[in-house]
Amino acid sequence: MSENNEHNGEHGHDDGHHVNYFKIYLLLLVLFIISVVGPEVGEFTGLRWITLITAFGIAVVKARLVVNNFMHLAWEKRIMKWMLASSVVLVFLMVAGISPDVMNHEGNNWENVAAKAEVERGLAYAAGYSSDEAEDEGEAEVVVAAGFSAATSYGQICATCHGAAGAGDGIAGAALDPPPANFTDPAFWADPARDRDRVITVIRDGAAAVGGSALMAPWGALYTEEQLEQVADYVMSFRPDA
Amino acid sequence: MADTVADVHQHEAHGHGDHHHDQSWVSKYLLSTDHKIIGMQYMFTGMFMAVIGGYMAYVFRMQLAFPGISVPGFGQVSPGEYNALITNHGSIMIFWVAMPVLIAAFGNFLIPLMIGADDMVFPRINRLSFQVFFLSSVVLLISLFVEGGGFGGAWTSYPPLSASGDYNQTELGATLWLSAVALEFVAFLLGGINFITTLMNSRAPGMKAYDIPLVCWMIVIASILFMLSVGPLIAGAVMLLFDQTLNTGFYDPARGGDPILWQHLFWFFGHPEVYVVLLPAIGITVDVMATFARKKIFGYKMVLYTAVATGVLSFFVWAHHQFIAGIDPRMANVFTITTLLISVPIAEMLFVMIATLYGGSIRLTTPMLWALAFMAEFLIGGVTGIFLGASGADIYFHDTYFVLAHFHYTFFPIAIIGSFCAFTYWFPKMFGKMMNDTLGKIHFWGTIIPFNFIFIPLFVLGMGGQHRRIYNFQHFPEIAGPEYFQLRQLATIALLVMLAFQLVFFYNVIMSWMRGEKAGKNPWKANTLEWTTESPPPHGNWPVDELPTVYRGPYEYGHPDREEDYWPQNLPG
Amino acid sequence: MAHARPIATTRSATGIPTPRLAVWWILASEVVIFGGLLGVYIMHRIGHPEWAEAASHTQTWIGAINTFVLLTSSFTCVLAHQAAEKGNGKEAAKLLGFTILGALMFLMIKSYEWTTEIIAGYTITANTFWSFYYTAAGLHALHVIAGAIIMGFIAVDAFRGRELHRVEIIGIYWHFVDVVWIFLFPLLYIAK
Repeated sequence: MSENNEHNGEHGHDDGHHVNYFKIYLLLLVLFIISVVGPEVGEFTGLRWITLITAFGIAVVKARLVVNNFMHLAWEKRIMKWMLASSVVLVFLMVAGISPDVMNHEGNNWENVAAKAEVERGLAYAAGYSSDEAEDEGEAEVVVAAGFSAATSYGQICATCHGAAGAGDGIAGAALDPPPANFTDPAFWADPARDRDRVITVIRDGAAAVGGSALMAPWGALYTEEQLEQVADYVMSFRPDA
Repeated sequence: MADTVADVHQHEAHGHGDHHHDQSWVSKYLLSTDHKIIGMQYMFTGMFMAVIGGYMAYVFRMQLAFPGISVPGFGQVSPGEYNALITNHGSIMIFWVAMPVLIAAFGNFLIPLMIGADDMVFPRINRLSFQVFFLSSVVLLISLFVEGGGFGGAWTSYPPLSASGDYNQTELGATLWLSAVALEFVAFLLGGINFITTLMNSRAPGMKAYDIPLVCWMIVIASILFMLSVGPLIAGAVMLLFDQTLNTGFYDPARGGDPILWQHLFWFFGHPEVYVVLLPAIGITVDVMATFARKKIFGYKMVLYTAVATGVLSFFVWAHHQFIAGIDPRMANVFTITTLLISVPIAEMLFVMIATLYGGSIRLTTPMLWALAFMAEFLIGGVTGIFLGASGADIYFHDTYFVLAHFHYTFFPIAIIGSFCAFTYWFPKMFGKMMNDTLGKIHFWGTIIPFNFIFIPLFVLGMGGQHRRIYNFQHFPEIAGPEYFQLRQLATIALLVMLAFQLVFFYNVIMSWMRGEKAGKNPWKANTLEWTTESPPPHGNWPVDELPTVYRGPYEYGHPDREEDYWPQNLPG
Repeated sequence: MAHARPIATTRSATGIPTPRLAVWWILASEVVIFGGLLGVYIMHRIGHPEWAEAASHTQTWIGAINTFVLLTSSFTCVLAHQAAEKGNGKEAAKLLGFTILGALMFLMIKSYEWTTEIIAGYTITANTFWSFYYTAAGLHALHVIAGAIIMGFIAVDAFRGRELHRVEIIGIYWHFVDVVWIFLFPLLYIAK
């Protein structure tokens, strides 16, 4: 059953197959040309299935040709065919298990608000940006989302500590020392240093950046400058004398 | 000619303990390609990392039981430091202790010996795999001391906490931690190639598939599981690394990414990973039981096939770690069913162990005690997993200490009990001396009894609602009462006792190595091929023209045709 | 002495020579790595139709040329294998040389392509589509580089008539690199 095979190199193709590599190569080239021309046809006619079959279907066929004939998998022992097939199947299994959460943006009792907003923003950006201009345009700009709402953002991010009404009474803030700022308290705003610029700085860089507690984390990564100003304004709207 | 070669081999065999060798120390020990030495390198690195991981557990358990004290040997524990301690404790124990000791150390040492080969098929890749692994441990240890401190985002490293230095406050530590884990993956991919191809191809003449000792099968099946499950996580880790260092938005929902994606990629690997470490431990336990019950395994093929079934099923259960993470609830139904199903093949393996013991002629040596303890403790771990697999119950239990006690009741038997079982069993072969059995038993009881006193209180605390990854329970009035703290202190004191008893083990190792009774080739009167050569085996394992041939399976104990109660695989007729 | 080939390497209980067995296992793990990355990309791409705008800026003709280059290099590579089978080390080395040339052309074309894209502002952080684009193609390019380097060593050995069986092994790896690109090309360039 086991061979002490000293001459590892000369295993030979003793099963007598003869592959004409040049023919396979020509076939691959033909398929390749179809796979490039096909999608152009598909786009021109608007028939998406043409693009799908020629681009992806042919990719599968080409891959099979290379794997079977160049890599000689067609003549390999069965065990390796099974192992490679298993690894491909596993990839599909992984995608099947993950796609309900990652590919979709809503499902049974849940909705991915942030992702949907991002899709809308991107589509709006693309629509207001014709393909003619794309040839000349040098920069890819970041556009402030038309759908951004400071109130929504405050509710999603700030309210857990600072409370829905800005009173510093959010549940996550109960155990913090020092406690989260109470924006409805006149004493908080009595300090003249606490102006709009300061509020923007604290939101962006965290309170530690102005000598406060590191418990107020920096959130600058989430917002553009314009969005920061909108959130700061919203925070300041809790001031009792505002 | 053969005599001279054998003499040279014998002479080199003495190099393990004392100091006369033909090669320089560097080329013989540091740069060796011999599978036994590489196995030792993995073993000692893993043991060293276990001491570090254990030290971390000591520090954070002291903080939890006596909040705010200055922990002797560490100082006051800040919240950031606490997070770094628990993160690195978990990562170290899984990636730098369980995997290197169970798979790399014992796999390297045992597989060529047990299949009658002179080395692994790719000795230089083997050496490279250890060097990459060693580098990964160095990178991890460095990550603890850089500016900002060690990464504290849990061993699961969920983004956005792990992706943004602004959130985790340990930007450099996080990147180094992730790099260390990635390097460790590469090391085990390289090592796995060796284990799999060696087992598949390099068996002794006459050794058919069902003549291979189960521990070898298990290590190889584990390597295959690892190779097939780690791929998506490697892709995901590259993406996280880019998020950390290049500010890409792979896991940032505001930029088209998705944090849940990381969770899925992590657990798609993370769940098969626990079986990657479980299967070798079962293999070790089963081999040791056969030897010390003097009886063949009740169902060799049963164990083999259920191991494969467990491996396959393990790819279908991963989202039970994410039941309340915001996954689609319809997926939760699917994953509950598959999770409950996977307990069946594992239970079968435990039944096979019990059936093997029944009617056997049992010798309660130290390795056998460890094997029996594995069964008992893992059983508790396994049944508590059933509660967690039911998504309804998990809504309450998720992220509580119930989960933590469950996985310690599974991981501790796997990583610690399994390692001690293997180490005490194969010590005579590795070092040529017998370990002191009395000290071994003292160490055994001094580990097992405190172990239960650590984690049963944690089950109780978990059921009472105590959450994980909190550094000071005084902040939570409902679980800050004296009766809760008493349980925490009980667990911590039990840990101190358990750690103290490990000194007995180290003492035993060193004394036995220096002054133990000489072991001879086959002190346990076992059947498998490693016991047919010298202790410790010479370079090349057997003289070049005396590589064994195999005539029967590995568990022919108590055979009616034989006078002795064992029948080595390599004896003809 | 410690580096002499062990007897273990020459045995073959399965009938597959050990080096070939090993490279198939390496490919199995690479399938899950690339498959994982591409699967994740596909899910995101389907869930984010607005990426079509970003994807429209990939340069399909450059990608097509690179596909042709890699296909041809696969062809020269399998011819090298054929030559090695017949024991002709020098011919095998020459054909491996052409394959490495193909790899270099691929990398040069890609460098040009990426440079133009980065100058135009399509950097890795411009948009998550571009993040995936650079990560996937970059991981592939790393494999091209590693493969070309190893192929170089094997070609030198083959020229001297040594270790000819390794030509097949590096060939199998190289064809896999080609197959990955066969899927990358439609995914990154055609799917708009």
